[in-house]
Formats: sequence, structure tokens, C-alpha cells
Amino acid sequence: MGGLPANRTVNGFAVDPQNPRVMYVAMRDGLYKSTDADETWKRIGGELKNLAAVAINPKKPNEVYVATMDGKIYMSADAGMKWKKQQ
Amino acid sequence: MKREFCLWVFVAMIGIFLSPTRSFGMQEEHKKSAGFEHVHALSMDAAGQTLFLGAHTGLFRSEDGGRFWKKVALPAKRSHLDVMAVTPHPREPKTIYVGTHEAGLLKSTDGGTTWREINNGLGGLDVHGLAIDPNDGKLHVAVREKGEGIYRSANEGGKWTRVDDGPGGEVKVLSSVNISTGMGGIFLYAGTAEGLQRNPDCF
Repeated sequence: MGGLPANRTVNGFAVDPQNPRVMYVAMRDGLYKSTDADETWKRIGGELKNLAAVAINPKKPNEVYVATMDGKIYMSADAGMKWKKQQ
Repeated sequence: MKREFCLWVFVAMIGIFLSPTRSFGMQEEHKKSAGFEHVHALSMDAAGQTLFLGAHTGLFRSEDGGRFWKKVALPAKRSHLDVMAVTPHPREPKTIYVGTHEAGLLKSTDGGTTWREINNGLGGLDVHGLAIDPNDGKLHVAVREKGEGIYRSANEGGKWTRVDDGPGGEVKVLSSVNISTGMGGIFLYAGTAEGLQRNPDCF
């Protein structure tokens, strides 16, 4: 359960419906991912910051979307490794 | 945070861690791809086709992965609603629940064309999170300010019952996670101003 910045606001949270051990957390500091049901977390998404929300495509769980607080949308087709801006 | 049955447990570094009334027609207006003003929520419908985004300026939908957005008209006496939570039903692609800062909960069963209020039993109308149990469809919502707490509905929002004080810190997002607690339930996670928190769904 380590790896998330302490006492920081969690703005967004999404879980893979096909494998609920996989979770994503969106924060001002960036995007964090757990693959072991909240035991450990790692920051992913490179320079992604000021995140307000995260979503998973339930039909294709490797397809992940994040939104920044000011409304920029980014998408990853590989479960968070590579990201591209959608607008 | 000390209600009867369960204890909220902090995750983060310190711990671990939604009277039907009216129907309304949908009016969509085109929206530029950005400029939502303070995004609160993002989610995709069960069909994996439509992205929904909740923001201070309302509810938006995108059919192309977030490149182009249309504003979805929601029922309200006010000029706009601050959309705090958007939760599509996990198995029924046309069913969507929306939590708002001013008007409580709204539900659509036709993919967002018409909406109705589902606030029967809620102690307040400032809804900050909405979770659906993927197994039985049970709903939980987090209400702030007046009537603050966690409310549950076992009949798709027809009636709400307050079940817990809720986690510490302002709730930003609420989610039912299909991981067994070993006590016959699953976990309810909350993203809050004090980090990620979780609690066995045993209220």
C-alpha cells in the first residue's frame, strides 16, 4: 500500500473491471497505478500532472483516459505506458 | 468517522484506503474540445463507446475518445449544474447516474436522452461520489454538507438510506471494487482530500 504521496488529494480513481487488482489514481502530482490491489503504487504517465479524473474502457481495459483539471484529455492504449493528447 | 458497523481505514501513506419526479428532453449543444472549467469526473459507458465528463460547467459526452465533446442538457431550475460524479451502470450501457453539487442525483436509462431525479431519502443534495456494486447493482453515494454521509440504495436509486458517516476529508470520487473482503462483501474506495481510503462494504 505504499507509493502514493501522503496526505494528498485523490481526485480520480478507476479500477479495471476485468481485473480489479489493477487500479489508477489521478492526483495533482500525476497518475499512479497499482497492479496488486492497492498494495503498492507506482507513478506512471511521465509528465502528466494536475489530473482531475481517470477512466477505463470496460471493453478494452488497456485503454485508459485521464482529464486534467482544465479539461485536456489524454489517452493510453497500453495500460498507461504511452500517452497521447486527444485534442 | 466512527459509525456503527464499519471503520474507515486510511490508505495513502497513512493507511489504506447516490422521488423519481420528472423527465426532461435532452438538448445537446456543441462544445469546443477544451475549456470545461474544473473537471470533476470522467467515465466510459458499459459498451465502451461513450466517454462522459462531469465539470463545473455541466455534463459532456464524447463518441470519439475525447476529441470532440457535446454538452448534455440536464434537468434543472438553475442555468447550469456542477457535475461532481458520472457513473455508468457496469452492465446496462444506456443507464447512467450523475451526481451534482446542487441538485442531488439524476438517472438516465436511455443513454442520456432523458433524466429524472432520484433523491428520495437523501439528507442533502451535494453529491460528491457515486459507486455501483458490479455484482448486485447496489448503489452508494457520498453526500457533503447538509446530511453529510454515505447513503445506500438497493433498488436502483428509488430509495436511499444513510449508512455511514463516511471517510475523513472531502470525497472526490467513490468506487465499488470487486475484491472480496472475506466477510461476504467487497470494498468501497473513496478518493478524498486526505488520500485514498477504503472500507469493507458491510454497512
